[in-house]
Amino acid sequence: MLLAYRLALASPRVTARGVEASEFAVEAGRHGVQAVPAIVVDDRYAWAGAVPETAFVERVLAARA
Amino acid sequence: MTLGEREQDAIRAVLDGLVREVDVKLELGPTATPVTLLAAGGREIDSNAVTHDLVEAVCALSDHVSLAVVEHDEPGPWPRTTIGPGLEYLGMPAGYELTTLVHGIVEAGRAAPSVSELTRERLQELQHDVKVDVYVTPT
Repeated sequence: MLLAYRLALASPRVTARGVEASEFAVEAGRHGVQAVPAIVVDDRYAWAGAVPETAFVERVLAARA
Repeated sequence: MTLGEREQDAIRAVLDGLVREVDVKLELGPTATPVTLLAAGGREIDSNAVTHDLVEAVCALSDHVSLAVVEHDEPGPWPRTTIGPGLEYLGMPAGYELTTLVHGIVEAGRAAPSVSELTRERLQELQHDVKVDVYVTPT
């Protein structure tokens, strides 16, 4: 979660939001979230699991491409 | 007491590192997609009330953090906590996610974002806005 926040603080183009999956189960289900942490980029499921900063930013950029 | 003495001391120590003022906005109200949350023993959890208590307790631990609470009548993605320039968290920041709230405040209160130079360079290549949602659970 913190990596997403750091990216948002580092770039005005990035917005970051944490979502508690059990409270927002409908939204989680809509995005295909089955395990946490799950990362959804521009409303599309991207990946699940924690990754280092370099991989995180590359995956966000790849998901956006 | 929402936070124990040890938790308060630990959070206060972390927030002591803030070099910028951080505004926190907490929005409460009926959720658009209601779910029933149960604590151990079957007691139903009031997400708005728990979130209000937690966020208020954390923000009170630093003079550099100010809190504004907004109550909505219309259903929406509540409770929503917005830290500084737009770091959002939907739901209760309880359990492990209390650290998300605390460290989100810490990140927003730094003099500069704590990412590597490589990350900074890669982000400069973004030509479009991008929205990153991270789904988490408190345990």
